Amino acid sequence: MELTTDIVRIVSALSTWWWMILGLMFLLYIALDGADLGAGIFALFSKDEEERGAIMASMAGFWDGNETWLVVAGGVLFGAFPLVYGSAFNYLMIPLMLALWGIISRAIAFEFHIHARSSKKLWGWAFALGSLTAPFFAGVSLGAALQGFPMKSGIAMQGIADRGFTTPVMHYAGGAMDFLTPFSIWTGVGAVIAAGLAGGLFLCARFLPGDVIHERAKSWTNLFSFLALGAIVVTLVWSYAIFPWAAAKWTGPNWWIWAIWFVIVLFFAFKSMTNHSMQHDFTALLWGEGVVVLLWAAMWATMFPYIVPGTWTIHSASNPANSMAVFTLFMTGFVPVMIMYNWYQIWVFRGRFTKKSVYGAH
Amino acid sequence: MVIENSLPVLLSRLDFAWITSMHILWTPMTIGMSWLLFFMELAWLKSGDERWYKLNRFFEKIFIINFGAGVATGVTMEMAFGILYGPFSQAVGPFFGNILGFETITAFMYEAGFIGLMVFGWGKISKGMHLFVTFNVGLSSSLSAMWILVANSWMQTPDGVVLKDGLFQVTNWWHAILNDNFVWGFPHMWVACVELALFVFASVSAWFILKNRHADLFTKILKPTLLALLIVTPLQIFIGDSVGQDVAKTQPTSLAAMEGHFHTYLPDGKPNTNWNLIAIPDVEAGKNLFSIQIPHVLSLLETHTWNGVVTGMDQFPVKDRPDVWVPFYAFRAMVGIGFLLFFVAIWGNVLRMRGQLTATELRKHPWFLRAVIFSGFLPYLAIWTGWWVREIGRQPWVVFGMMRTYEGVSNMSVAQEVVWFVGYIIFELVVWSGAWYFFSRVIQKGVNDIPHSDTLFHGHDEDHEASQAGGGHVAPTFAHKPMMHSDR
Repeated sequence: MELTTDIVRIVSALSTWWWMILGLMFLLYIALDGADLGAGIFALFSKDEEERGAIMASMAGFWDGNETWLVVAGGVLFGAFPLVYGSAFNYLMIPLMLALWGIISRAIAFEFHIHARSSKKLWGWAFALGSLTAPFFAGVSLGAALQGFPMKSGIAMQGIADRGFTTPVMHYAGGAMDFLTPFSIWTGVGAVIAAGLAGGLFLCARFLPGDVIHERAKSWTNLFSFLALGAIVVTLVWSYAIFPWAAAKWTGPNWWIWAIWFVIVLFFAFKSMTNHSMQHDFTALLWGEGVVVLLWAAMWATMFPYIVPGTWTIHSASNPANSMAVFTLFMTGFVPVMIMYNWYQIWVFRGRFTKKSVYGAH
Repeated sequence: MVIENSLPVLLSRLDFAWITSMHILWTPMTIGMSWLLFFMELAWLKSGDERWYKLNRFFEKIFIINFGAGVATGVTMEMAFGILYGPFSQAVGPFFGNILGFETITAFMYEAGFIGLMVFGWGKISKGMHLFVTFNVGLSSSLSAMWILVANSWMQTPDGVVLKDGLFQVTNWWHAILNDNFVWGFPHMWVACVELALFVFASVSAWFILKNRHADLFTKILKPTLLALLIVTPLQIFIGDSVGQDVAKTQPTSLAAMEGHFHTYLPDGKPNTNWNLIAIPDVEAGKNLFSIQIPHVLSLLETHTWNGVVTGMDQFPVKDRPDVWVPFYAFRAMVGIGFLLFFVAIWGNVLRMRGQLTATELRKHPWFLRAVIFSGFLPYLAIWTGWWVREIGRQPWVVFGMMRTYEGVSNMSVAQEVVWFVGYIIFELVVWSGAWYFFSRVIQKGVNDIPHSDTLFHGHDEDHEASQAGGGHVAPTFAHKPMMHSDR
């Protein structure tokens, strides 16, 4: 009896641990690739292929590493919480598919734009459009996931007769378009705004002051700073109105923690904006990324103890005890290692560009 | 009709088969070629021979395009299990999900963390560090292949698990990871990757020699490549035979399908030892409508005895039988290619023994060069057909003998499946045709625009400045010199 309760305790500790790592992986993805995607959105408004090429070259050494955090997040979700992986991705089939098509366009554009002669324009647009659709549909998926989804057990597949197959596992039971709500469309827009801001800050830090790209990125960042502040407020109010689990937490006995947290977010945003206006571009980028970290952590904490609000709790979605133990033993150590060599890769490619210098070499 | 062949289930299989088939056009070359790049770089550093550097940088361009296509098609794969086969993903999560998690953490991300350094790091990191980076790209991509093969071979021979509460719970991790099929299945795939990369090398080299461009340079790489192929091609045939025997033992329905073997015993009660060279199978009727047979060969192949009993399709109920057409002919294509490539390797080494592996002599054997060029495409087909045998032969099971395919399919309508299929036909074909178009452009351009390796490290002062600078506030460190080399 004693042993069983111990095992239950250990499993719930381990699954909470993996829930935090999962949050970290998603955070690394949005913080790092968000900037790359945003720079791609910026490239939608570029006048020439030279500028798009320069923007692509500015992230050439590490975009793949940044994007791969999404794959790692998917792998952690599959490895630790397969019950969520197998139902939430089923629910989000359409938006994930569209986001993936954006990612595909972008990934091949990186390789093809360099070699292309007559088709340069095509790949430049594939890069920019892919950079827009990927965060939009990823944002839609996030908003849809926050709303939860219906489940049932038995045969999941539509259009085939029940053959007497039974299983206690709960599958996704809704329709193809259930993900599409005003709120999820809004989170898609919000994600684009957030990425746009990160991209602007990144380009300011990446190109030399006075360069054409730097000049344009500066005014772009000013605009997106205000858009982003507005988006944060709208998202918070909207979430408060439609998610009882969020409202209960924010106005519960610990309301003051959330209030302080919000003030810290505003302080970070303020620091980012002032540093930006003083052309401390790299510092501005770091303060801006700080806002992302704070908001993401707040969202994760608001959802606790759920992974998918109202649908899967951390406890109900986690793998059996021995799988969790094996995953923890063999994989936890790699997390800091991954972060280290990714940091090294970004470090090697640090420094600033001008539009001409990168493009000439490309 | 078997339910796995009804429209909704068949479409879900096609959806998955299409994205997997298009993804595996890229990964084997990444896996095999990264090691070849490593050895060329090592040869350059050891010998100081500039030609190795040139060859390395040239093949690296092909490698990068190939890698980009692999990433573009690969991100989908990580999500596709949950999207298309949600209930399967949930049930196999305790093992299969864990392994896929291992793969992303120890291999996919490992590779992504080094690939940028390998491609853009020339001249920015030391030569020794660069060699180390290339080594890591090779190791990480092979690790990736290993984990994927652990996961897939477990679906063929699900050892070390029990099905409890609707989940495949692991009882023995070692049995599950080193499952029966993995032992030969992983070497078969890994050697296929090396064989493919070697043939692509040989094929590109032969093209240059035939066109009499950089002929001496490419003869330099053709020689060791042909020697390596003389070892690799027969090795692959041997490993393939071992996989076949394992399949005969563990997945008799799959073997019966790939050999078109319907009747275990002949009408007179003796074991049916006939091997079908070609056949027109009729799965519903449970027999071949027509076949050309050779006695004893089947028993020889699968049991290594003259009259051994090989279990036929008739030992299994109709609802448990896979389709025969695809496994039967795909298997023959794969084996045929395996032997053909072995023959090409022998041909090349006969020329070597006669001392004819020089640029001038080789051009007197244009048919040999043409055969080698053509051989560069065949391993792709062999890998495709091999996987089709494996995956279709396993049907109607998704986890052999334990979970049927229809039980694992996601909640989707036929319309959703069609949208996915059509969309991915467009995207995958754009990736494929774009990549091949740019392969041909890179090959057309040749090696002339690759700068001498001396140009790599001549910017030391600037580099020093950059390392003090750190983040973003500072001097225009890269303003004066190109960020990347002009060959990109």
